[in-house]
Amino acid sequence: MQEGIFAVLEQQPVYLHVYIAVFRWVAPILMFMLLCRCCKPLLTFRREPEIWAWLCLPDERKLPVTHWENVIGRSKRSDIVVDFPTVSKSHCVLTRYDDGSWTITDADSKDGVRVNGKKVKIRALKPEDVISIGGVEMTLQPISRKQEQRLAQIRSKASSVLSSFGNLMLLSVLQLLTCVAFLLRGQADTAMSILMGFGGIMIAQWLLLLFYVCIRRTSFEVETIAFMLTTLGMAMIATVKPAEAGKQLVAIGLGLAAFLFVGWALRDLERAKRMRLVAAVAGIAFLLVTLVFGKEYYGAKNWLVIGPLSLQPSELTKVCFVFVGASAMNRIMTKRNLFLFIAYSVMICGCLALMNDFGTALIFFCAFLVIAYLRSGNVGTLALAITALGFAGVVALKIAPHALRRFATWRHIWETPTTGGYQQTRALICMASGGLLGLGPGQGWMKHVFAADSDVAVATLGEEWGLLVLIMAILSIVALAAFCVRSAAVGRSSFYTIGACAAASILLVQVILNALGTVDVLPLTGVTFPFLSNGGSSMICAWGLLAFIKAADTRQNASFAVRLMKSGGDEEDE
Amino acid sequence: MNRIAGRAGITMLIAVVLLIGFAFFLGEYFMQADEWAVFPGSPHVYNGSNIGCGVTTDRDGVLLLDLSGDRTYSADALLRKATVHWVGDRRGSVSAPALSHYAAEFAGYNVLSGLYSYGGTGGTAKLTLSAKVQAAAQEAMKKYRGTVAVYNYKTGELLCAVTTPNYDPDNPPQIDESNPGEYEGLYVNRFTQSLYIPGSIFKIVTLAAALEKLPDAEQMSFRCEGSYTIGGDAITCESVHGKQSLKEAFCNSCNCAFAQLVEMLGKENLQRYVEQFGVIEQVRFDGITTAAGKFEGGTASNYHAAWSGIGQYTDQINPCGFLRFVGAVAAGGKGVDPYLVDSITVDGIKTYDAKTVKGDRILSESTAQILGSYMRNNVQTKYGDKNFPGLHVCAKTGTGEVGGGKKPNAMLAGFVEDEQYPYAFVVAVEDGGYGAKVCIPIISRVLAACKESV
Repeated sequence: MQEGIFAVLEQQPVYLHVYIAVFRWVAPILMFMLLCRCCKPLLTFRREPEIWAWLCLPDERKLPVTHWENVIGRSKRSDIVVDFPTVSKSHCVLTRYDDGSWTITDADSKDGVRVNGKKVKIRALKPEDVISIGGVEMTLQPISRKQEQRLAQIRSKASSVLSSFGNLMLLSVLQLLTCVAFLLRGQADTAMSILMGFGGIMIAQWLLLLFYVCIRRTSFEVETIAFMLTTLGMAMIATVKPAEAGKQLVAIGLGLAAFLFVGWALRDLERAKRMRLVAAVAGIAFLLVTLVFGKEYYGAKNWLVIGPLSLQPSELTKVCFVFVGASAMNRIMTKRNLFLFIAYSVMICGCLALMNDFGTALIFFCAFLVIAYLRSGNVGTLALAITALGFAGVVALKIAPHALRRFATWRHIWETPTTGGYQQTRALICMASGGLLGLGPGQGWMKHVFAADSDVAVATLGEEWGLLVLIMAILSIVALAAFCVRSAAVGRSSFYTIGACAAASILLVQVILNALGTVDVLPLTGVTFPFLSNGGSSMICAWGLLAFIKAADTRQNASFAVRLMKSGGDEEDE
Repeated sequence: MNRIAGRAGITMLIAVVLLIGFAFFLGEYFMQADEWAVFPGSPHVYNGSNIGCGVTTDRDGVLLLDLSGDRTYSADALLRKATVHWVGDRRGSVSAPALSHYAAEFAGYNVLSGLYSYGGTGGTAKLTLSAKVQAAAQEAMKKYRGTVAVYNYKTGELLCAVTTPNYDPDNPPQIDESNPGEYEGLYVNRFTQSLYIPGSIFKIVTLAAALEKLPDAEQMSFRCEGSYTIGGDAITCESVHGKQSLKEAFCNSCNCAFAQLVEMLGKENLQRYVEQFGVIEQVRFDGITTAAGKFEGGTASNYHAAWSGIGQYTDQINPCGFLRFVGAVAAGGKGVDPYLVDSITVDGIKTYDAKTVKGDRILSESTAQILGSYMRNNVQTKYGDKNFPGLHVCAKTGTGEVGGGKKPNAMLAGFVEDEQYPYAFVVAVEDGGYGAKVCIPIISRVLAACKESV
């Protein structure tokens, strides 16, 4: 039957022409609807604090404790402000644990913390314990189970299952239409891989939603955005290397596994903290193994070839790095931990320098800056600057000759359109040729250019899907980042907030280097576009990072990586 | 946590860097995308060095060349030969400057759709050429090397322009020692790029100058003894023409009479008029620039100046440049530039629509009228109206002596005096022999085809 269909199609290219003529209008509209539907809740959700306990002051005031980690101090920027001259600006940290127990940690305050009159450095709190901070006495009153249930009912729920279902339906329509556009080309030899590629994504996304419904999680915007970009990435593969659709599908599967695993690890803060050590060792190990056994492709020794598989372990190290960088508040308040992190970063950077991987080094550097800033504020500025300088120095010394070649053509690509500037001039020519609406899936020329489905994938996307879709793809990543920043205000633990912001920053930096490099605003560095670019390691990394974003989503019933507040007397799911 | 939440803004800072960077790119995009899309080597527009998209048809929609994919030419071998110098060949030996010039219009770039066109075929260019006339001209010229061209002197449309030798791009010839000369200048578009010694067709120019400059020129009479001596050197005629009026001298193409005319006119004046008439000027249309002619009579000795007024000495004309001059005479002293590409349409939207480019007045209306009547007289009394059934043709033949033991160039220039068929024409045949004998049958066939095709 399939052969029969193709026989008809081959003689009737008019079907394809009509289809493409319609598709190039429909696709951006669908994308726009999807983007709006996904971004609106992410960017406008009401930031309702979760209340975990009350701090009772002697004057009978009750201060709500709204995070798992709360800085108590005189400063207005403290989470719990106790405006008393004897209280230090950041006096101590009140920390809640997964089991509902609380600890108080002195944050190098002048006057110290006393519990039941005894000066303590760190102390688990029992009910009725009297805490004295700078002479102000108070007691901590955790909310009861009943109150927790009431609060959970009062808090507005994250997006409904219905709207998540709607989003996924829209995405499925887009996937179907794209699939048909490729099949209409009548190339029988690629039909199976294309069907498998798009069909596989569709199955994966619906299975994930089904899983969410089972565990009473309703919010699917972040995932829909990721699946949308993954779909566009599959369209790039279908046009550039259709034979690799299956391989990419496996990568997506592994990515989802990484997403669920990292999410599970993050779900329990204590578990997450314990995993940090594992992550730290794994992160370095990935790089060391690459250094020893790695192969050099295109100037960077960042490939590990195992049988038919070629991996970029440095991609996985990104996830580990975020894990290591994220830290709970009580640890943040002591400087020693920051120095450990700096030392770890220097090790990572050293490995990357030896591997000649300029693009990845840059990503780690930006991630390092973000994490260091989030953790230290001003405290570590000096150390930060020194490390940054050292980092840049090593990069410059070690990687310069390799990087310089790219800098030579930067902003001069039109002077060497057939040699040094070939990839980027083709990219701009093809993006211009695509206009706002594109030439249609599979109808472009960019596929003949090296790395058209990875390093310069945005050009292929721009050419075949149009500039509007490309802009929307970029905005979708920006929306994820904006969501992380908004969520930070109602974050439970700094571990999650730092993790989410660092993950989002890595995604952003990758988009900056990939998209702006392709269009010659920046030098081309050969970095992948998250979810979009063909590449297994990159896909796994992107999904792994997405788990951190998901773990910071404290909206009610939103995230599988966040435990529910008790709601309506149900058993808590696990 | 409040502090961390505040510091989370750093992630937004990175997002802003991305947005600013991409906005910068969008700025560049909207300023330059039209240039990027048709940048030389753009795979959507070019195929190698040749333009690689779009369809080219003749004025009636007859397919000449489909550029998309593997270049599909007309199914008619005769037509393929006749138009190869306009649409180019596969190897890039013959380029198609007029088509490349409109690469952007062919590709039909616009901000919304980029280079998208339904089915990816690109635009359709309608040339002013008529396939029928081209084919007729090809038949008429097949034995010769040279060019024949016809254009509408009111609008500028080039109805026909064939240059020979040419070849079938679908069946390119083997050029080797066995056929020397047969393919001499094969890749040259003679109409726009060749220069010819004009011979007596240049007498139209000299006559025009005399009519402009000498008020009693029409009343003058000339005596031809077969030769006329200037500064000890003789200007010769092939026969003794005796006493003749100016009109008769023009009709007889009497060298002695025209030598006297140049003397009366003054060589500097003649030089000035040649330049004013634009006879040796380059013509520019559709991205094509023709070869510049040459006239040095103004600074030559009187003897040489006289020969220059007869279309010998160092005179060189380009067929297209001369055609425009004859067209201006036909149009009453104020001509139009020729053009080849009539319009380009992409998905029903015209991306290019030719406009007639009017030239300046180069000679007075009365001079043009007298010139026309003299040229008409040539046909009536010498070349024979029977060669042009139903057409009022005005013309002048020429025989350009090239020296070196070669046969002279046979030349012809003229126009049809008819509201319905406002055509000017030029014929040049290398090694052709006598202008009248060779060129009249050629233009007779071509004009008949023109008449038929309209």
